[in-house]
Amino acid sequence: MRRRFLSVLVILMMAFLAACGGGNSNTNNTPPSSAGNNPSANTDGANNSGVEQIELRMAWWGGQERHDRTLKVIELYEKENPHIKIIPEYSGFDGYFDKLTTQFAAGNAPDIIQYGGNLNDFVARGVVLPLDDYVGEIIDLSKHSQSMIDAATIDGKFYGVTLGTNAFGLILNKTLFEEAGIPLPSKDWTWDDFREITKQLSDQLNGIYGTAVWTEDGFGIFLDQRNKVVHINGEIAFDEEDVRDYFQLWKELQDIGAAANAELQASAAQTPEQSLIVQRKVAMELIASNQFGAYQNATEDELMLFIAPINPETGRNGISLRPSQFLAGYAGTEHPEEVAKFLNFFVNNIDAGLILGNDRGAPVNTDVLKALIEDANEIDQEVFSFIDWVAETSDAPYVPNLPGYNETTALFRRTMEAIAFERMAPEQGAADYYKQLLEITAKYTEE
Amino acid sequence: MLKRYRGAWIGYLFLTPWLIGFFGLILGPMIYSLYLSFTDYSLLEAPKWIGLKNFETMFQDRNYIDSVKVTLTFVLWAVPLELIAALAVALLLNKGIRGIGIYRTMYYIPSLLGGSVAIALLWKNIFGVDGLINQVLAYFGIAGKGWVSHPDYALYTLIILSTWQFGSAMVIFLAGLKQIPSELYEAAEVDGANRFQKFWRITMPLLSPVLFFNLIMKIINSMQVFTSSYIVSEGTGGPINSTLFYTLYLYLKGFSHFEMGYASAMAWLLLIFLAILTGILFLTSKYWVYYEDGGRS
Repeated sequence: MRRRFLSVLVILMMAFLAACGGGNSNTNNTPPSSAGNNPSANTDGANNSGVEQIELRMAWWGGQERHDRTLKVIELYEKENPHIKIIPEYSGFDGYFDKLTTQFAAGNAPDIIQYGGNLNDFVARGVVLPLDDYVGEIIDLSKHSQSMIDAATIDGKFYGVTLGTNAFGLILNKTLFEEAGIPLPSKDWTWDDFREITKQLSDQLNGIYGTAVWTEDGFGIFLDQRNKVVHINGEIAFDEEDVRDYFQLWKELQDIGAAANAELQASAAQTPEQSLIVQRKVAMELIASNQFGAYQNATEDELMLFIAPINPETGRNGISLRPSQFLAGYAGTEHPEEVAKFLNFFVNNIDAGLILGNDRGAPVNTDVLKALIEDANEIDQEVFSFIDWVAETSDAPYVPNLPGYNETTALFRRTMEAIAFERMAPEQGAADYYKQLLEITAKYTEE
Repeated sequence: MLKRYRGAWIGYLFLTPWLIGFFGLILGPMIYSLYLSFTDYSLLEAPKWIGLKNFETMFQDRNYIDSVKVTLTFVLWAVPLELIAALAVALLLNKGIRGIGIYRTMYYIPSLLGGSVAIALLWKNIFGVDGLINQVLAYFGIAGKGWVSHPDYALYTLIILSTWQFGSAMVIFLAGLKQIPSELYEAAEVDGANRFQKFWRITMPLLSPVLFFNLIMKIINSMQVFTSSYIVSEGTGGPINSTLFYTLYLYLKGFSHFEMGYASAMAWLLLIFLAILTGILFLTSKYWVYYEDGGRS
């Protein structure tokens, strides 16, 4: 008897396991192509008062500050448009896109969605609302710089408003430079200077490294300095030796103790509060400029934004102005026009712009930017002057993420880790990386 | 004959909530996931039938092979360690000491908390580069390691985390120990048996059905371990795939790489593997699991 009972229990447990494993995939049996026709449950709020009540759902990721600011803008919009109710769905970055993907599959994605550099991955799958019909009449792009419009234009169609202008930049811990007694680098420093300064910092500061390792974002900069780009429309546009040189550069910096060692680098968390520079483990780190405020607010030390060292052969610093994030509509939304109106308000309304500040990067609308600069605090000033610096010193083109971003990024990080932990020589790592990268991108471009 | 079944519909009526749940939430999705495992399904586009290609790709996928290795290593360490810890503590707590209830509760608490995100986060901080462990080690002049950020140690740190959650197995062992008639021990003492003899000749054989149950449950659970690595490695399975558990890779494939067909195929392969493994264990059980009633049911 007892044995039979055990068998039944075990079988039940296994049935449960299979359901867990497979069940995730089964949020909905309807192919997404028909998803747009499903009336979404939350738009049934029409009442009898004449004006149709419309509910829109909006999803974004970010930290607490961004949530507060965004919620305030939503409030403002609802006040000006009483027939609109916006239901916020916000979270941290972890799991944001996982959840979104599930919602797309189920045909109940939010109407308004924040994307990052992976917008192209979603456009390719047909879930992003093309906005061309609304540009001009509803969405005013006349005050936006062309490069930011281009960034959201994929295969000739316009898909989203850019939430901010951004640039990668080095964040320097000025306080640590002072403690080490090392002068700040000059504005036209080279990689040799970089190597020397980071080494000196490591030597002078006990247990602190000169710099954190630059990961994949840094590779884009490195390539631009060689007059190359990562890819053109999904076709890899660099050579194996480029990535080999990059891996070698960082392995060397780690070997001489200038850059964070393998263990420390692997422990680096993604949040500003847990980052190596805020934890006083390194004196420099590569970040996106809109995050500067979050880093500075997390530490007592004085931080500053600085340009990347230049490649003396080409004289380029490789830093490009880039869109921080996009706000876009869901292809299956019931109210595309209302979505477009809100997108317009979010980036073009000056009050909204003042509330949002620099949190998603410098506003793309020049009027909003002007208003914000007049209003800016010290931290925002630092970011704006850095953006200016980039605009003056660099003509690097904006290169969107590789297709299959999640997969290719994971591959890059894993390879760099394997090299850092000496499981692979940089040559071997580069060969492996390059081969697998071509396989992955082929998978995404063949469709 | 018919009479016997006449009132059966009432029984089924009472079963409906469960039946709906079983067919709608378990069997239906399972069959659908079986279908998906033969397709290329990006979640955002309709599934495309590709036959066995997912299964073929798997055996050339280095990450997949890594995830299998990592999971098997985890199971080989975590299951025995956890069972030994559970049994040892159960034996200790089976004695009549004062305040035994408190001790039992205390040892059980980790397994209530253990699977949670909060504990994984705590673990990450304790074993971090600046964590408690390294601070204590530094006090003794020993240079610490990045216990969760070094590929040589990260997995073993997670094994310790899972071993620490021995509570549920312990409670089942305790219940099993309580079932052993004390006359057997008394009779053995009269015959001059020492502690080891009593343990190996009485406790172990009579406890073997419970041990068997715990063993199978732990293997199944350990094969599906997910949370600890997802939190500690920030969902990457890193450093260098050293904590890339099978289910974590399955999740990444499905939701991060948009390959739900592949993920479903992985789920089914895991199910089949577990079914076979469990079957083998049941076959061997007649050689080492002792039932008082002779195994007759």
